[in-house]
Amino acid sequence: MAPSTTLSDLIGIEHSKLGFFQELQHTIEELQAANEESESQRREIAAILDGITDVMMVLSENLRIISVNHAFREIFDSVEPEGKYCYELFRNSVEPCPECPAFRSLSTNKVCKELAFFRINGRKRQFEMIASPLKGPYGSGNRVLIFKRDVTLEKEYQAKYYQAEKMATVGTLATGVAHEVNNPLMAISGYAEGIQRKLTKLTAECIPAEVKTDFEDYTNTILKECHRCQQIVKSLLNFGHPETSVFGIVNLNDVIKDTLNILGYHLKRSKELSLELDLADELPLIYADEPRLKQVMLNLMTNAADALQGKEGVISLHTRMNGKGAVVLEVADNGCGISPEIKDRLFDPFFTTKPVGKGIGIGLSTCYNIVKDHHGEISVLSEEGVGSRFVVTLPIQQD
Amino acid sequence: MISTKFAIPDIIFGSGSISHLAECAKRVGAKRVFFVSDRGVEESGWVDLVRGILQVNNLDCVYFNDVNSNPRDEQVHRGAKYYLEEGCDVIIALGGGSPMDTAKGIGIIAGNGGEIRDYEGANRIMRPLPPMILIPSTAGSSSDISQFCIITDMEREVKMSIISRSLVPNMSIIDPQLLVTQSRSLILAAGIDALAHAIESYLSKLASPFTEVQALRAIELIVHNLRPAAEERDLKALEQMSIASTAAGMSFSNAGLGSLHALAHSLGGICDVLHGWVHPVLLPSVMRYNLPACVEKMGDIGRIISGSRMCSTKEAAVLGIDSLERMFADFGIDTKMRNLVPSKDTLEKICVTATHDACHLTNPRSATWEELMSICEEAW
Repeated sequence: MAPSTTLSDLIGIEHSKLGFFQELQHTIEELQAANEESESQRREIAAILDGITDVMMVLSENLRIISVNHAFREIFDSVEPEGKYCYELFRNSVEPCPECPAFRSLSTNKVCKELAFFRINGRKRQFEMIASPLKGPYGSGNRVLIFKRDVTLEKEYQAKYYQAEKMATVGTLATGVAHEVNNPLMAISGYAEGIQRKLTKLTAECIPAEVKTDFEDYTNTILKECHRCQQIVKSLLNFGHPETSVFGIVNLNDVIKDTLNILGYHLKRSKELSLELDLADELPLIYADEPRLKQVMLNLMTNAADALQGKEGVISLHTRMNGKGAVVLEVADNGCGISPEIKDRLFDPFFTTKPVGKGIGIGLSTCYNIVKDHHGEISVLSEEGVGSRFVVTLPIQQD
Repeated sequence: MISTKFAIPDIIFGSGSISHLAECAKRVGAKRVFFVSDRGVEESGWVDLVRGILQVNNLDCVYFNDVNSNPRDEQVHRGAKYYLEEGCDVIIALGGGSPMDTAKGIGIIAGNGGEIRDYEGANRIMRPLPPMILIPSTAGSSSDISQFCIITDMEREVKMSIISRSLVPNMSIIDPQLLVTQSRSLILAAGIDALAHAIESYLSKLASPFTEVQALRAIELIVHNLRPAAEERDLKALEQMSIASTAAGMSFSNAGLGSLHALAHSLGGICDVLHGWVHPVLLPSVMRYNLPACVEKMGDIGRIISGSRMCSTKEAAVLGIDSLERMFADFGIDTKMRNLVPSKDTLEKICVTATHDACHLTNPRSATWEELMSICEEAW
């Protein structure tokens, strides 16, 4: 059996009531290790989340904000978002936005996407929203994760791209047409010149004097009109240049004339509209991207024409030096004018007062961007019912 | 001077202290209690009281009452299996020495596995036991205080002494009110067991200042309160007996016992005698045998028992032993060995077995089995 017991065994100095200390210690060590691991995981996830530049929010079922990421705080600094409703922050509204994807996401339990506009810090921005349901371990309250990505620029570029695409198509078409038209024009002008040469050889016996004079007039007119057609064809060819924009030495007045050539038909068609040109002689050349400047001109002219709303009116074009090393182009109309409450939204992308199908609201924002690329400025003076004046300032020297 | 150690459980003492049971159990982490008791205690109604307390406090209770006097190894094994099957977390025992020792045995197996005989002797328990709360219903065994657990090995017919600090329960809830349902003979048997604890541990080789003071106090309280407690079940006297047996428990748990308990254990193993009835038979004889080795201490005991202060130490010691014999006779307790043991032939086996018991080690005067035989002869 067991070895014999001694007195010191009975005293048992080195023996104590055994507790679960070692097991506890072991458990505590395990817990600490697990805790450290989850802490490092948490940090990693936090780092990943901080790397996400989209606005992120976790919302409760009734769209109360539970937590947000740093991108949110950058947009809404000085606001404590937790506990507030999402729509009161983004829309200043007292009820959920009709297009909100969070509800759909929660009811279908799928990831839902949606595009929406929000006014952030006084500027209209377009956001792509992605809502994904969070079926947390809490069972009771479902939550929803919302990503909001600012796609304003993206959409702008997209629109620009479409525009450019369209222009390129138009350009190609125009080029094709121009070449096709050029040949008959060459033939017409060639034969007209031929007729004139023949006329000089014809004597009075062959042809009555008044008939000869008439023929000379006719052929002159034919040649003149041919020449005009060739000019139009040339500017069409210029406009439809498929090459991407390159900065070069540009004469602003030529840009205006070229644009007017293109617009000529459009402008002449409306009888009520009259053009006033006041182009400064001796305007210094500027370093600019000609096709894009033409686009600015086109946009401003189109807007001015639209502002007249088919009524009688004047569009005046004016170029000058401003004494600060810049040239100035002013496009003025005496149309409907701009109401003061929308004045600050004028250059916002996708802001338009035109009816659906007439415009997408990209024109002025494109102008704004182009002028900014030239280190210039664009501003507007307007009075409702009196007219508007757009002023584009372009520096001569590019830094 | 040798270094000694003094260990006791948390003791909650007082009339009505059993009402603290549930909060104590919860404090040691109870959700599903393994409750050990026996049929005698069931009849007194205390088992139902405890089960009621547990139920009211939303504690599951798995009840186990397969307990003998002189609890057996197979009962312990059955209990441990039951404990593990039921997924209990805390052991509560209510009763005398038998249910409490059974509970300790179950705790050993539940925490350490194997068989109970693997742990016989001192400090063989290597792994923690489930938390234990013991509630004594007798003022005697003091298993609720001690680091002893006595289980009978049925195969070898040995009452094994298992000694370990881990057998000191986490809590002892001592409510003297539980004592009123005892029979006269149970009060006597338990009281005399406590007296034997006090006397043997006071004389033990390992007695320390901290055990001696408890032992003497216990002897004094028992001498004065045993009669009113047994004859009239006087509540005040029963309360004093509770204090006495607890004090005796603190003493013997840390100082050990002596040859009387060694003999009582082997007798219990071989003849299945109720532990408490061995002491009146052998205590005076063992004391007479030990007298030469510890006259001074015997004198202290004698003065307390006889109440005499006028005589010499030696005379006081002898007087004390005589007074004890007279006291047992007055109670009408059998003091003859021949009535416990069927025949003299078994005495040798009893004495040989007793010399292997751990209690025999701390006896103040060493004794061979033959010397133990002579003690038994004297009491025959």
